Amino acid sequence: MDPRERKYSNGEITVYWKPRECIHSSVCYMNLLEVFNPRKRPWVNMSGASTRKIIDVVNQCPTEALTWKWNDEEKNKTVTEADTNHIKFKRPHDFEKKEEDSILEVEQDEPLKIRVMKNGPYIVEGSYVLTRADGSEINMMGMSSFCRCGNSNSMPFCDGNHRKTGFKE
Amino acid sequence: MATNERKDITEITVFSNGPLKVSGNFKLTGSNLKLIETGNEIYLCRCGGSANKPFCDGTHKKIGINDKNV
Repeated sequence: MDPRERKYSNGEITVYWKPRECIHSSVCYMNLLEVFNPRKRPWVNMSGASTRKIIDVVNQCPTEALTWKWNDEEKNKTVTEADTNHIKFKRPHDFEKKEEDSILEVEQDEPLKIRVMKNGPYIVEGSYVLTRADGSEINMMGMSSFCRCGNSNSMPFCDGNHRKTGFKE
Repeated sequence: MATNERKDITEITVFSNGPLKVSGNFKLTGSNLKLIETGNEIYLCRCGGSANKPFCDGTHKKIGINDKNV
């Protein structure tokens, strides 16, 4: 287990934090700064909002960096997939293994969604072909975040550096 | 692969020390999900300095991008 992992409870639910899974989408603190404030320690304040509101925002986390569970195990038995809504996130190296797959197999039913996060990255959701600066192509699917501040150390992806460098627009 | 075989595929191209080019079928929105633009081709700022964000205006040439690992 990553020693940086944390859990936070308000007595009713527990929110689990896995920093390694975070793609710095900024969805949590953009939606509920009273609970998720990266400038504070601890950065999660479970008394900042109602349980319902916290669940709602945790469910919007594009990865499994933030997840939640009822403290009452009986209640967890009634939780369905629709209640948790965790979109499976994949990093580029998950796709590189499948490089032989035909590009034509990429399904393209809906337009690719690109969301410009205020003072944060581009959140991209859908399937597309990514051509990297060295000319290599990767079939991408799911959700990823691209640097918009110019300072990421894992270009072209976001690594959360926009907060340290104070990217404002 | 011939270009015509992949015209339906949305592509994102990363330019070294330059913008992201997005071409094909896409929907660009703000944080609030308000629509900014839909496909065919756009160039998105990657340096953080464009005066026309989210679009590229060539400012990267002046201020540079941390692209040593891109």
